[in-house]
Order: sequence, then structure tokens, then C-alpha cells
Amino acid sequence: MKKVSNLIKAFSFLGKASVMVMMLFFILAIIPSLLTSHSPYIPSGGALTPPSTLHWMGTDDLGIDLWAQICHGARSSLIVGFGTAFLAAGGGSLIGILGGYYGGKLDGCLMRSIDLMMVVPELPTMIVLGAFFGPSKMNIIIVLSLFSWTRPARIVRSKILSIKEEKYVKVAEGYGGGFSYLARRHFLPQVFPLIMVNFIKLISRAIVAEASLSFLGLGDPTSKSWGLILNHAMSFRGIYFTDFWKWWIIFPLLCIVLMVLAISLISKEIENLLC
Amino acid sequence: MKKKRKILGFKQYIIIFLCIITLNFFIPRLMPGDPFTFLSAEEGQDHTAFSSEDIERHKKYYGLDQPLWQQYISYVRNLLKGDLGYSIHYKEEVLTLVLSRIAWTLSLVIASVLLSAAIGVFLGTISAYYRNSSLDKILYSGLITLSEVPSFIIALVMLFYFAAHLKLFPLSGGMSHFVDFSSRWEMIKDILLHAFLPLMALTITRIGEFYLLARNSMISILDKAYIKTARGKGLKRRRILFYHALRNAIPPIVTRIFLSFGGALGGAVLVENVFNYPGVGRLMRQGVFFRDYPLIQGIFVVMTLFVLVMNYTADAIYKKLDPRVS
Repeated sequence: MKKVSNLIKAFSFLGKASVMVMMLFFILAIIPSLLTSHSPYIPSGGALTPPSTLHWMGTDDLGIDLWAQICHGARSSLIVGFGTAFLAAGGGSLIGILGGYYGGKLDGCLMRSIDLMMVVPELPTMIVLGAFFGPSKMNIIIVLSLFSWTRPARIVRSKILSIKEEKYVKVAEGYGGGFSYLARRHFLPQVFPLIMVNFIKLISRAIVAEASLSFLGLGDPTSKSWGLILNHAMSFRGIYFTDFWKWWIIFPLLCIVLMVLAISLISKEIENLLC
Repeated sequence: MKKKRKILGFKQYIIIFLCIITLNFFIPRLMPGDPFTFLSAEEGQDHTAFSSEDIERHKKYYGLDQPLWQQYISYVRNLLKGDLGYSIHYKEEVLTLVLSRIAWTLSLVIASVLLSAAIGVFLGTISAYYRNSSLDKILYSGLITLSEVPSFIIALVMLFYFAAHLKLFPLSGGMSHFVDFSSRWEMIKDILLHAFLPLMALTITRIGEFYLLARNSMISILDKAYIKTARGKGLKRRRILFYHALRNAIPPIVTRIFLSFGGALGGAVLVENVFNYPGVGRLMRQGVFFRDYPLIQGIFVVMTLFVLVMNYTADAIYKKLDPRVS
């Protein structure tokens, strides 16, 4: 914890501002029901009312409060982002460590599958998988992870390949250190900063991908997400000819942009400081 | 952390394509449920009940009574013949549907990649020449930030600002309907006007990628001795930059152009849906909306094929331009 706060202290002004923005989003995600008295599912006012003191960000075509939807949307964005990043960074680095350490056939196999994943077009494949396996949050996380594990795996593998030849690892091996001991004591601590930087990038990628999928109508329909609000607004007939887009589109749009930019700035700062 | 890409051979691409086809073959078969309920019972619709003889007959007709490997072989054989299946919603061959729409998407994708490459390389070259100046810093941070924002978000902003608010561009579609164009030129103008905003949205997100690539390679090239020689000869700055230096930065840029098609295609799927552009991406979303699985799968195969061909071309060109890669 102390390390993290020291790290944040070393950030530039923009980096600190991004941390603040992310904290705000976290607050939205953790206690949405305290921040708004309206429900994100049940109409609480007239349809399509512009922002007012009662409805901060106005309402959509069903009269559902947009601020409530945005708060709950922050939760699903962050769940998908962090879920994917944990799964992909964890799985990817495990695969990278295994491949790098054992080498041989296992490594060859893993490298081939990484090559395969690199050339397959991402979004179309995600659409097909999403369409067939049904839009639930869990499925979205799994599908996104399927496309995100390759980068951490490759980075970790090349790092392990160089660490493996170091003298202290050879010595540890000579004294009978097994794979799990080496992984715990020597590999993970060195690989950790690399994974950290990658972890944050994975979060923002996953959030963008989730927003894109929900925008296409493949999001989890039972929970609110920013992409879903946009999808809903865009399928409202003739929304361009009205003023409704001034709140219905702009607020979710701003949230996505803010979050993605904040995460990318944080990852740049960490990259500069750690690597 | 430098991104290293492995050069793949023709055989490997064939294997990858086979993997994709196999995936495509197994996905519907892994789904829970029966093909008959799958085709006929949608929520909120009347459920057509089949008698067991009917089911037997249909199974025979669709070849579902055969063992899995025979189904697989006939699936691959049909695919090679260009038979992508039959769309449930549009009641038409998937291939004809895709072919009627694909020109819109491809022209959008290709034009946006080329345009972003041109702009990105130009800005990158300038940025490398005025390294560490305030111009360089502004360009660098601005373009990197822009490339983080997904293209459909930029598309939405453009749609509502330039088309809906300022009314400078048409709102949606690929061209005006029910209009008699007085000349061919009028029609082209109309199509270009419709394509402008989607094209810009796709282009802006990709500029950063080419900008970074060009800037990095130009910075190392501008330190080389032959640039000093050119400068010593008293050549004009423009000639040094765009003739002597850029020439040596071209190979990685050309391969990157071909590699970008995959990402641009994904962006186009989203951007088309923002502008209701009549391309394949829009068709795919219609497929998702109407649960038209054969259509989604057919489009997926065509898109994958396109991306794989582009990647293969990139590798081939890279080998040709850089003889060190064998």
C-alpha cells in the first residue's frame, strides 16, 4: 500500500488528476445507490426530460434517470475491465513463465497459438462468440480474455528467457530449487512491474471492447453499461433531429472517453517510473 | 518493449484459416439445444412443433444424421465452393448478401488506412525533424491521446457535431436515395459526401500508430551520415526529408499498412453502425439483432479471409523489401 502511494506521489500533475478521475469512477461503481435516489431500471420521471435538479443528467425515452444508469454503468465497465485484466494477465503470465522456463515442445505450442491469435481479427471473432454464447458479463469477460492473454504471455516469456540464464537462478537450481520455488522467489518479483503496466493497458482495452460490444447490442442486457445506453439512444428513431442527444448521448460518451484517457495516462506514468 | 512480429509462411496461414473454419463449424454444434428449436422457436414467436418423422426428414435433408466428421468435410467442401449458407432473416444466400455490401466496407477501410498512413507519416517526419520542439511535443501527446479513443466514439462525436448540429454533412447512409443525379459526377460527389465523416472517424484513430512509427524511424535515420552529406551538398530541407530520408523509412510503414487492415475492419464494423453505412458491419449487426446465425458466421469467414490475405501480403512485402529476413 505504501509503495502504491509513493508511486502516485511521483506522478506528474496529469497523472495525479487521472488517479483522481479513476477514484471518482470507483466511488460511482461501489456505492451507486447512495449517490442517486433513482433506480436505473424503473422509470422515475417523464420521458426525455432535459437535465434538471431532479434528474441531473435528464432521462431517457422510458423516463429512466440517466445519472443512475451512468453510476451503474461505471460498475459494469470496471467489473469487465478488471475481470478481464486479472484473468488475462494472470493466465498470460503463467503461460509465459511455463513456456519460458520449460521451453521445448510446450513453448513451441504456446508460441504457435500466440501467432495464431495475433492475426485473427479481434472484433469479428468477438461478435461471433458473443452472439452464440449469449450476452452475459461472465461470457464477455471470458471472450475478451481469450484475446488479451497473448501480450502479457509474450512479454513475460522473453523476460523469463533472459532471467533463466542468470547465475543466481542457476545456483538456485543447483541447490535443488524446483519450478514453483523459482517462480515464487525469482521470476514473479522481476516480472511483476512488467505485468503491472500490461495489466492497466488490458483494463482500458477491455473497457473499450465491452463498450463496443454493448454498442453493437451484444452487451449484458440485464445490467446497465455505457455502451448499452449509447446503443439504446442510437436506436431511438430520428434522435439526430431532436435535442435529446445533448444529454442522452453526451454523458455516457464523456464517461467512456474520460475513463479510457485516465487509464492510459496512468499506465504511461507507471511505465515511465517502473521500466 | 519492442513489438516483434513473427513472419509466417503460406502454410501457417492455411493452418490458421482451417482453425477458424473449424471453430466456425463447432460453435453452433456446441450450443445447447437442438437445431430445430434453434431455427424455429424464437422468444415471442409461435413455436412450430415438428413430428418425429419431420425431424428425421429434416435431419436427413440437412445431413445432420451423418457422423460429425462427414458433416465437417461437407461443410468445408461447401465453403470452398463459396457456399456460406442461407440467411434466415433476409432469405437469401449469405454470399450474395455479403458481396452486395462488401464494396462499401472495403473502400472505407482501404481509404482510411491509406489516408491515416499518409497523414501520420507526414506529421511523423515533421515531428522527427523538429525533435523536442514544442511543435513535436504537441503533436506527440495530441496524437497519442487521440489514438486511445475508440473510433466509434469519435464517430459519434462527429455525427452529432458536424452532421446533426452544424448540418454540414448527411446524417446516415451511403448515398441519397430517390434522387435522380444529373450526372455521374453528381453521384460520386454524393457518395463522397456520405463517406466523409465515417472515413474521418476511422482515419483519426489510426494516425497515431503511423505517426509513432514514422517518427521513430525518421529520428534514427536523420542521424545517419548520408543525411549530413545531403545537407552538406546544400540540398533543400524538403528534398532531404521527403526524398533522402523518407525513402529509407518506407519498408516498415508499408508492412504496417497491410497489418492495419485487421484493426481498421473492426473499427469499420462499429463506425458503419454509427452512420448506418450500408456495409458488411451494418449487415453483421442486423444479423446479431435478428439472431441470424448463418449470416454472422458467413460475414465472419469473409472478414477473416480478408485479414489473413492482408497479413500474408504484409509478410511477403516485408521479405521482398528487407532481404535480411529469410
